[in-house]
Amino acid sequence: MDITKREPETAMRDQKTNSSKQIRKYILTCMILVPLVPMVVILAIGYFYFTSALTSTSTATMRRIAEDHRQMIEAFLMERKTDLEFVLYTHSFDDLRRQERLGAVFENLLRKSNAFADLGLFDENGLHVAYRGPYHLAGKVYKEAVWFREALEKGHYISDVFLGYRNIPHFIVAVSREVDGRKMVIRATIDTVMFNDLVKNVRIGKTGEAYLLNREGILQTERRSGGSLMEKDPEIDTPLVPHPGIQTLVKTGLTGQDYLYATIWMNDQKWELVVRQDKAEVFKALQTTVYLVVLAVVLGGGVIVATAVYLAERIVVRIQKADMDKGHLQNQLVRAGRLAELGEMAAGFAHEINNPLQIIKSEHALIETILEDLKQKQVLTESEDMADLEDSIKQIVLQVNRCAEITHSILKFGRKNKAEIQKVALDQFIPEITKMVQKKAQVQGITVQQHIADDTPQVYGDPAQLQQVLLNLCNNAIDAIYARHGSSGGYLHVEAGPDPDNMIWIKVADNGCGIDEENLQKVFSPFFTTKPVGEGTGLGLSICYGIIAGMGGKMEVSSKSGEGTTFYVRLPTTG
Amino acid sequence: MNVQGMKMMLVDDEERFLSTTKKLLAKKGVDVLTAAGGAEALRILASKTVHVVILDVKMPGMDGIETLSIIKKDFPLVEVIMLTGHGTVETAVEGLKSGATDFLSKPTDIDELLIKAEEAYEKRLRLEEKIRMAQSRKIMKSPREIIKNADRT
Repeated sequence: MDITKREPETAMRDQKTNSSKQIRKYILTCMILVPLVPMVVILAIGYFYFTSALTSTSTATMRRIAEDHRQMIEAFLMERKTDLEFVLYTHSFDDLRRQERLGAVFENLLRKSNAFADLGLFDENGLHVAYRGPYHLAGKVYKEAVWFREALEKGHYISDVFLGYRNIPHFIVAVSREVDGRKMVIRATIDTVMFNDLVKNVRIGKTGEAYLLNREGILQTERRSGGSLMEKDPEIDTPLVPHPGIQTLVKTGLTGQDYLYATIWMNDQKWELVVRQDKAEVFKALQTTVYLVVLAVVLGGGVIVATAVYLAERIVVRIQKADMDKGHLQNQLVRAGRLAELGEMAAGFAHEINNPLQIIKSEHALIETILEDLKQKQVLTESEDMADLEDSIKQIVLQVNRCAEITHSILKFGRKNKAEIQKVALDQFIPEITKMVQKKAQVQGITVQQHIADDTPQVYGDPAQLQQVLLNLCNNAIDAIYARHGSSGGYLHVEAGPDPDNMIWIKVADNGCGIDEENLQKVFSPFFTTKPVGEGTGLGLSICYGIIAGMGGKMEVSSKSGEGTTFYVRLPTTG
Repeated sequence: MNVQGMKMMLVDDEERFLSTTKKLLAKKGVDVLTAAGGAEALRILASKTVHVVILDVKMPGMDGIETLSIIKKDFPLVEVIMLTGHGTVETAVEGLKSGATDFLSKPTDIDELLIKAEEAYEKRLRLEEKIRMAQSRKIMKSPREIIKNADRT
């Protein structure tokens, strides 16, 4: 079999499946993209604005911390310098070279700040003249020492951390003064522990730290994350270059950690204060945001997709059902149209048949007349053949009359719907109708009975429409009886009588298959039929209902499934 | 029933019906003219006296109702009986309203046809009588009136 040649029905069904696939795809695309795209866009915009705000805030905070810290350290150093200067300006050289005097001065200094570890006096030749402190340093000469020369030149000097004669890391503050042509220098050692704590103790989250580096990149204070005094910072290869202001940057450490740095130079550009924090910690909020955003996208997207799929499915199912219903209705409409056409054609046939019938009738009349003549002229004699001949001829006219009746009832029925209200006498009208269905009922073994009460008044109505209603009810009854009883045992009763309030009632009762309770309410609805596809349009009863309502009457039904049905028609009387 | 002198015409598009009915009526002593269509019918009416026309409603060309209206216009004294195959009340009513005297439903009895034709003929005779009476009344005036009229003229 050629695959490309499909039956029209299969092709149409495939087309319908394709179109519902298309609809589903279309709905899904719209319902997913339309909410999803704005959501993602909004989240992205929010995320970017948030991250940039967070970055600038964090950076600003670091800078502020660096600045504040630097100021504090500078203030500390400045104060120590000023302390020593004060000493120099309030004491003479000879004063200070006396051990007890130096001692008292040192005690005073200690009271001001316990940063001082020792105190020493030097003459202009660099000779350590007096000393107060824990080490044995008196007598040493420092004429060539850088610190001494700088102190004499600039009036003050703060050193880097160095080991010196003591072999322990320390740094010194020295100031000089010239009095009467003689220069003198005092020098104090700063307690590195205390200074360390000063620089180190800065609270910046968990991973934040501050430390000092000199130009060679050598630690001047301990680094919390690893690095003791006088160690070279392994991350720095080249000598550091002082820069103005505060610099912030992100650098990867040796351990692979990313740090956010804020650097600022101090102490006459000799030391770099480095404040840094683990980048991950700085931007922890950022990370959380990323997770939240991703979660929102996943969840929101999931909800959107799930809703879209569910709704799309429901909509497609609805559309398919509507299409199917539409198809059914269309089929029924087509059938109804076809039947209506048939009705009209029947009228045409009836017209056409009347002509030949007329001819047959007149031919028959002629034959009879000629026969009479021949009999009178004694050409034909009485005989059995003659009797048969005459009998046959009588039959002809009988059958012609029968045809005529049939065509007349068809024509009366198939008239165009121009209702002509007349007085209808039911006692004559109903028998006409029962006569019409008599033959059909008899063939199916149905007993047709009618009873019209004697005092039944006349009604106003269009006889043709009334005929339509009653014929419809009778035909329905016959179908129902056939469905239940087959070809024998059915009865159909048509009765009529007066009803209170100037009405009459007509009853059409049968012992057919009855109507189910759930269908009973729908029985007058248009297009409702229990007949199989192809039979019945479902229009009959709804049209009848409309006709009776139009006449000012009412139609009701009572039925028991499996037992029978009775239709009641109430109509207003003429009186 | 007096059918003497009744001139009848049968108008129908079925030839067989015309011929057979003509034969039948001839046997009953009635002379019948036939026409196969409206046009032919009008031609015959123009040349011959016809009292009663049996007119088929549905004919090709000029149909029954149209023919009827022309007959009533041009030959108003002719009685027309519509022969309708429709069997419906409407066509009959329409015909009667348009001036037909009566109507018959196909297929009809030949006897019924004759009865209705005779009724129509009677009506025609009575009408002719009234006309004669009216005309003669006009002639038979009182002498005084005649003198008055003569004076006036």
